[in-house]
Amino acid sequence: MTTVLVADDSETILLLLRTRLELAGYDVETAADGQEVTERVDPNSDDGPDILLLDAMMPRKSGIDALRELRAAGLETPALIVSAHQTPDDADAPADLEISGYLTKPIDFDALLGAVAELTAKAA
Amino acid sequence: MTVIGVGRLIVQRQDYENSIERSYQREIAARVQLAEGTNPAAARATIAREAARRAQLRDSISGDTRDTVILVGAGLIAGLLGALLLFVGLITAMRRPLEALVGAAGRLAGGDRSARVEVGGVSEVATLGTAFNEMAAELELEASERDRLDRMKDEFVLTASHELRSPLTSVQGFAELLMMERDSLTPRQVETVEIILDNCRHLVRLLNDLLDLARSDAGRLSIRPQPTHLGALVEDVVRTMRAQTDASDQVLIERIDPDLPLVNVEVDRIRQILVNLVTNAHEYSPERASIQVTARVADNDVEISVTDNGPGIPPAQLEHIFERFVRGDAGLTQRVGGTGLGLAISKSLVELHGGTIAATSEVGRGSTFTITLPATGPEALEAAPVGTPVIGEGGRR
Repeated sequence: MTTVLVADDSETILLLLRTRLELAGYDVETAADGQEVTERVDPNSDDGPDILLLDAMMPRKSGIDALRELRAAGLETPALIVSAHQTPDDADAPADLEISGYLTKPIDFDALLGAVAELTAKAA
Repeated sequence: MTVIGVGRLIVQRQDYENSIERSYQREIAARVQLAEGTNPAAARATIAREAARRAQLRDSISGDTRDTVILVGAGLIAGLLGALLLFVGLITAMRRPLEALVGAAGRLAGGDRSARVEVGGVSEVATLGTAFNEMAAELELEASERDRLDRMKDEFVLTASHELRSPLTSVQGFAELLMMERDSLTPRQVETVEIILDNCRHLVRLLNDLLDLARSDAGRLSIRPQPTHLGALVEDVVRTMRAQTDASDQVLIERIDPDLPLVNVEVDRIRQILVNLVTNAHEYSPERASIQVTARVADNDVEISVTDNGPGIPPAQLEHIFERFVRGDAGLTQRVGGTGLGLAISKSLVELHGGTIAATSEVGRGSTFTITLPATGPEALEAAPVGTPVIGEGGRR
């Protein structure tokens, strides 16, 4: 079973993402900000989540910063970034940060589930 | 000197004429004596003496006149010379500061708000310089205040647009969740949720449009052009829009020249423009209307036009059709869900691509909107860098 770690500072959006992903058959873990993500994900372990779905802007630590730290520590888990910004540039995502996809708010769930399914198929 | 000279000339002339008159009077008296024969010898002597006196008077007056004329002339020349010297002096004193003023005014007009002049020279010029500097300082202050307010406005629109997206994501997302259970909803509930979703889409469109305009105003609306086959893009847009036109029994046709050259454009932006134009044609035209999208080569450009046989746009409205918040006839607008920003944004976007947009219309016959994009020269056909894929359209339409 594919596990998706979802991070967003809005509880409502977390609930929404969790519901849609679970309805589509994924296991879902949630985190309230980037700090929680870096604490929960061990870059050197294979038991972590299969896909990261991170909000670009969160208090304490943004999704972009969390991913940057994890990538620097050697994490290879594919990551999708969700942002209210319309382009990766606007969200201050560095061009060399390895991101599998960039989604804008409001979320197009067909596109999101398609991207998650694609990443799952690639990993299998 | 000249005035004195002229006065003297008049006095001299009067004296001379009086003397001549008296001389003739004496000669006449002598000639009367001669005619009467009372003292012919004395009379003859008087006649000769008076003639000689007049000759002497004439000589002296012409000499005096000449002196006076010279005096007057010299006075005139000296006056002119003096004035000229004064003039040259003034000009020299004024030229440099005036030139500096002209230069500074030019820089100010050219946008250099820090343009000032060194105050100096003749007092009037110095006053002018001071006034200029005060005006320039005022302008600089106003301009920086305006810049600050503009930045605040742009910042506000950007922040508002982002902050509104999260709650909108929830509203739209949960309404979609409800719709996934539509089998267990009553028809009335389904209709209610559809209204919520329609309005979510409208809000997203409004947010995107406002964001684009704020970016355009701030000069931050940018494009990432790539060599593109417009034919495929037009087909794609027509395919996307067909569901909506079919629902109104409208005919949507495409006519694409198979030999279209590549154009250097940002696909998503041109799609945005075309969707906007076709949506307008669809929403402003009645049921069973026909809409035609044509892509063809025109000289060195590619021209895409969207033509409908709808109600048309009156000339007074057509003139302002690309301005913000200008929308079609109010009678129709009530059922049309636009923001009044679409064409203004389309115009900014087309111009950003180095192209043009134009509209023609005839009331009762329909309208045509045409965008013209420069075809790409072979030198621009390098492979464009591929960035992070943006998934979905983020509600952009």
